[in-house]
Amino acid sequence: MMESGGKGSLERLFWGAGSIVVVAYALIPVAWIISLSLKRTADLSDQRFLPSVVSFENYGVVFHDPQFPPALWNSMSIAGLSTLIAVLLAMFVAYAVVRLEFPGRRLIMAAALAIAMFPPVSIIGPLFNLWRSVGLYDTWAGLILPYITFALPLAIWVLAAFFRQIPWDLEKAARVDGATPLQAFARVIVPLAAPGVFTASILVFIFAWNDFLFAITLTSSNDARTVPAAIAFFTGSSRFEQPTGAIAAASVVVTVPIILLVLMFQRRIVAGLTAGAVKG
Amino acid sequence: MAKIELRGVTKRFHGSEAVKEASFTIHDGEFFILVGPSGCGKSTLLNMIVGLEEITEGEIRLDGVRINDVDPKDRNMAMVFQSYALYPHLSVRENMAFPLKLAKLPRAEIDRRVAQAAEILELAEFLARKPAVLSGGQRQRVAMGRAIVREPKVFLLDEPLSNLDAKLRGQMRTEIARLQRRLGTTTIYVTHDQTEAMTLGDRIAVLRRGEVQQIGTPQELYMQPRNLFVAGFIGSPAMNFLPARMIDNRLELPIGSLEISEPMCRRLEATPGPLAAGFRPDHLQIVLSDSRQEGGLHIRGKAEVVEWLGADLFIHSDITLGEFQEIALPEELGLAPEKQHRRTLVARVDPATRVREGDTVSLCLDPRHVLVFDAVSGENMSLELTH
Ligand SMILES: Nc1ncnc2c1ncn2[C@@H]1O[C@H](COP(=O)(O)OP(=O)(O)OP(=O)(O)O)[C@@H](O)[C@H]1O
Ligand SMILES: [Mg+2]
Repeated sequence: MMESGGKGSLERLFWGAGSIVVVAYALIPVAWIISLSLKRTADLSDQRFLPSVVSFENYGVVFHDPQFPPALWNSMSIAGLSTLIAVLLAMFVAYAVVRLEFPGRRLIMAAALAIAMFPPVSIIGPLFNLWRSVGLYDTWAGLILPYITFALPLAIWVLAAFFRQIPWDLEKAARVDGATPLQAFARVIVPLAAPGVFTASILVFIFAWNDFLFAITLTSSNDARTVPAAIAFFTGSSRFEQPTGAIAAASVVVTVPIILLVLMFQRRIVAGLTAGAVKG
Repeated sequence: MAKIELRGVTKRFHGSEAVKEASFTIHDGEFFILVGPSGCGKSTLLNMIVGLEEITEGEIRLDGVRINDVDPKDRNMAMVFQSYALYPHLSVRENMAFPLKLAKLPRAEIDRRVAQAAEILELAEFLARKPAVLSGGQRQRVAMGRAIVREPKVFLLDEPLSNLDAKLRGQMRTEIARLQRRLGTTTIYVTHDQTEAMTLGDRIAVLRRGEVQQIGTPQELYMQPRNLFVAGFIGSPAMNFLPARMIDNRLELPIGSLEISEPMCRRLEATPGPLAAGFRPDHLQIVLSDSRQEGGLHIRGKAEVVEWLGADLFIHSDITLGEFQEIALPEELGLAPEKQHRRTLVARVDPATRVREGDTVSLCLDPRHVLVFDAVSGENMSLELTH
């Protein structure tokens, strides 16, 4: 790309300013919550952006809360299991849709989209009754099932889009080069499909991790209550206190895993990994 | 050592035949070309030989052993794909080492072979790079490298040069020819470019709609095409075709009549349908007004288009078919006349000739080089019957 003189610097200025606006818009609330979580209870309404004294008392409260640590465990397990199952199933579906000729391929994709458009709130009431009568109410499975249902369409579409870009000729090339079908898949197709699988996994994980609607409706105790629902039941250290600081601290705690996850796999989600297999 | 025999090999996709009854032998060390228009089944045939496509009927033998049911990984054949099919997540070195690692060769041997191939193909400085940052020609070479490191029994190349620009294509063509001579490996090369076919091949098989039309050396195909399709497909610019008929033991063409030999007469008399005469642009010569060549067929016409290519000069001149019926040429050849009842003849003349577009020129056709085809079956009637 050639950049020259005035146009180049103007362009850079534009992009720079734009990035700052977007980043600020996205991050100021986060910074605000972090700041709140580090304030002492007494300072909570001091109307300052930065805490005058940094204190970790809110974090202490959160982790000594009877329901937060189990909720964190529930959240991680439920989101993790939902992601695993949904992505695994979606991989099979996307592979079949992209690679195999069978009647109804389009129908599957359309049906998946239709489910994604379905408002979850419209099934939540019946689901509540159904779960109670079949014994899924307030269990991990009771949350994992709807999460898989609503995450599958997303995962299928993301994976199908990725799989379509894979130059499948490579599989043949590997076979001629002496690979068994399994070796061709493991050594050539999997590395190329990996970015797509990571992307889909992260999206599904975030969806399950952040869900509030199902979590608040379908759980009633520490057995299966996830963090977003648990935060709503926060009481603070004493009953006469607003739990603002504790909520802020809990929010920070649940945001950190997501940030870590994205940072960890960021390099593996590099788009254009498949460029160069085919000419052009 | 690798001799490949095809016996009645047929491939059907959902009932439609992509390859019909292909039977021929590719000798050890031979550079064998499969050529034909798009969709004629070249890739399908190659994929059956390498094992990527199942054989519907017939059998393929490698050194006398039937390999129909041998897995591609066990056939010890290396293939270069039109898309190169390089592994994008592996470096050039890893790409070339890939088949060797699968074969579980010792580390030192892998390194030696990769280094050797890299030297032959001048890739040494790119070994650490990923395919994405290489140019088209370099990628092509990596694909070749991945094939030669294996020291396979057979090389199979499916249009390996079609993604390169004209100049690079010429260069790589020479390189592939040299490489094949040096290694002496049996090679099957698919192309739809007849220049590649003619320059590279020891023998060429011309395919049309899944059927082998003729197999022979480049000279044989050029001089003695078995049928109208081969005659029109091989040679550039293509052969000129005109409707013809036999009257009083002479061959009548829209541009005059020719004497024909006694046995030829008898053969043509036995042909019920219309005839087609074909002659190459090389055999149409320009004559200057003062000299008249004996025995030649003279055509006066306007030079509609003049193409000067340095070493060649092509003159396109229109003639009318008069009372002759149109003949149907195989549509894949793309030789359908632009104008109703007219034909454009192409002559390849001495480039020193001074001709401008619009000039009236006098062309002379050497009658010894006129081929006569049965316009319906396409069979070349002028071929000496050997059987
Ligand atoms: N997997 C397939 N399913 C159905 N038909 C196929 C399949 N592969 C090839 N064909 C058909 O078989 C015929 C031969 O195809 P093939 O790819 O061998 O042609 P080709 O000579 O290699 O052409 P090109 O020069 O365009 O590569 C074509 O008509 C094609 O449509
Ligand atoms: Mg092809």
